Amino acid sequence: MQWKKLGRIFDPTKHNLANNCLEFAQAPQALVFDEFIRIYFSTREKDKTGKYLSHISFVDIDKDFDGIINISTETVIKLGELGCYDEHGIFPLNVLRDNGKVLGYIGGWSRRVSVSVDGSIGLAISKDNGLSFEKTGDGPILTSSLNEPFLVGDPFVIKFNSTFHMWYIYGVKWITDTSTNNKKERIYKIGHAESEDGIYWVKEGRQLVSDKLNSNECQALPTVFKFKDKYHMLFCYREAIGFRDKKRASYRIGYAFSDDLVTWIRDDEGVGIDVSESGWDSEMLCYPHVFQVDNNFFLLYNGNEFGRFGFGLAVLE
Amino acid sequence: MNAENADAFKWKKLGKVFDPTKIEGLDWMKEFAQAPSVLIFDEFVRVYFSCRPAPDKNGQYVSYTGFVDLNRKNLLEVVNISRKPILQLGETGAFDEFGVYPTSVIRNGDDVLAYYGGWTRCESVPYNVAIGLAISHDEGESFVRLGKGPVLSYTIDEPMTISGPKIRRFNNQWYLWYVAGKKWAKTDGKPESVFKIRMASSIDGINWTRYGKDLIENKLEENECQASPDVFFYQNKFHMFFSYKYSLNFRNKERGYRIGYAFSDDMINWSRDDSMSGIDVSRRGWDSEMIAYPHIFELDSTVYMLYLGDQVGRYGFGLAQLQDSKIL
Repeated sequence: MQWKKLGRIFDPTKHNLANNCLEFAQAPQALVFDEFIRIYFSTREKDKTGKYLSHISFVDIDKDFDGIINISTETVIKLGELGCYDEHGIFPLNVLRDNGKVLGYIGGWSRRVSVSVDGSIGLAISKDNGLSFEKTGDGPILTSSLNEPFLVGDPFVIKFNSTFHMWYIYGVKWITDTSTNNKKERIYKIGHAESEDGIYWVKEGRQLVSDKLNSNECQALPTVFKFKDKYHMLFCYREAIGFRDKKRASYRIGYAFSDDLVTWIRDDEGVGIDVSESGWDSEMLCYPHVFQVDNNFFLLYNGNEFGRFGFGLAVLE
Repeated sequence: MNAENADAFKWKKLGKVFDPTKIEGLDWMKEFAQAPSVLIFDEFVRVYFSCRPAPDKNGQYVSYTGFVDLNRKNLLEVVNISRKPILQLGETGAFDEFGVYPTSVIRNGDDVLAYYGGWTRCESVPYNVAIGLAISHDEGESFVRLGKGPVLSYTIDEPMTISGPKIRRFNNQWYLWYVAGKKWAKTDGKPESVFKIRMASSIDGINWTRYGKDLIENKLEENECQASPDVFFYQNKFHMFFSYKYSLNFRNKERGYRIGYAFSDDMINWSRDDSMSGIDVSRRGWDSEMIAYPHIFELDSTVYMLYLGDQVGRYGFGLAQLQDSKIL
């Protein structure tokens, strides 16, 4: 597999965004229209405590990816009510057309005390082509369970043979970083669930992709597509400690493939994309999202500082 | 009390059984003995409850579950006290890092299972709760978790504070009555949880199917809080004793917990009739301001109720005996 980089296509610091958001355009997710591509992303507002709230916005880009047609000026989806799983942020909003509606799978975040956050996955539905989403309820559709105890997030949903598949991540433990005032850092892995209706899900209950770095490797934001009779998964992975400021510990994009959606073979050498020599994606690559337009597969992804300065595009050669 | 109902249960209060504030030498058991749940042995009745060490420097509590053994021939006599909690608190970031409360136990072959509310602390609201499961291979002295996560967590319409489990088995099917949070009511101070009684069933005790509806109609107000749904089968009917209170300003006699009652033929459709409960606060003493967290059990052809008194069991739990229960 070889991806040809087409450059950064959106920088949030150059636009006015809804909900007082200034920086970050993270975890881009595409919804393809006849004339344009709508790309949802998570951007950030600082609340009165100085902490971030992640909000969903979108940008419509023409199909040549060289012109911005529209940027959302309204709230696309509200954050959750007091005490709900998505009270403090939505990251990402994974979108999927289904029977004339758009399903929006919510990666919801809420703050904790002994650790920074917990996460669960919710569902919202849009009946106006993705301009706005209404939640199906205050609670999540996929959350903690006996062996996936916390930090359930990063949903990616796609239908194969009339079954809904979700790839997502779940936390396995919190560890203490003794080099930074005992900050708690999280470790998470990629899991898989199936559903007949997109609402009620059955977890497979195992780590899907083997570790490469070590057992504390963090794996995030899986995206899956079918090409040439094979299923391909891109995701990002990093070290559990030092990933914010050390280039070698930070996110890179990994790759696995499968013939049957059951057995996944990890093959990062085959991913065909890496950090650039210089520029906006020279330190890290993260939050990949693959989508198809006509006969081409495209990859959206974030670069340095987890997407503080936007996202870029690559095309499968 | 609504004493006019001629069909009402008649409970004779036998007095307070256990007061945790009188126990010396157990740092983890300074006060509170909440949500009693029994396991019956040949010679004694083991009563599990949740208790607390002194609060931390910020005034915050954790909860542990322990037990006392009562003489089967004289339930007012404590013959043994657990020397350590039956289950350690959960690890960092886990759902049960800050509390194991309440706990409901049941035998399963040679093992004992404990379903418990696991507590974590949140930033915008004081806490969140989900239901965990632990197993004992030593007659209920100590338990280990089946996993680091909960067996009953949140759903679309049960978004928060899943707590108060009561585990039962009828006709080889497992039933869990529990409490699901509806929302957090905003106040001038800390938000207060609003919660209702719900039910789930299971064939293995691990994978649960929820019924998905509130079981008990409100009496006090829309935001009435309902807890401790304790179900037993008796005279061809299912009976539920539970406790209920106002959602706000409830830490007093007028708006605090009382014990309610409902009955059902099918465990799904419940008729509430609090005038049947037959138990109310006392004129004076340890249970004169509130009564809460009823737990019913049968022993040697007599039916008993364990329950909490003032300050939701800060000073322990008491016992009442059903009168005219020979019909069992």
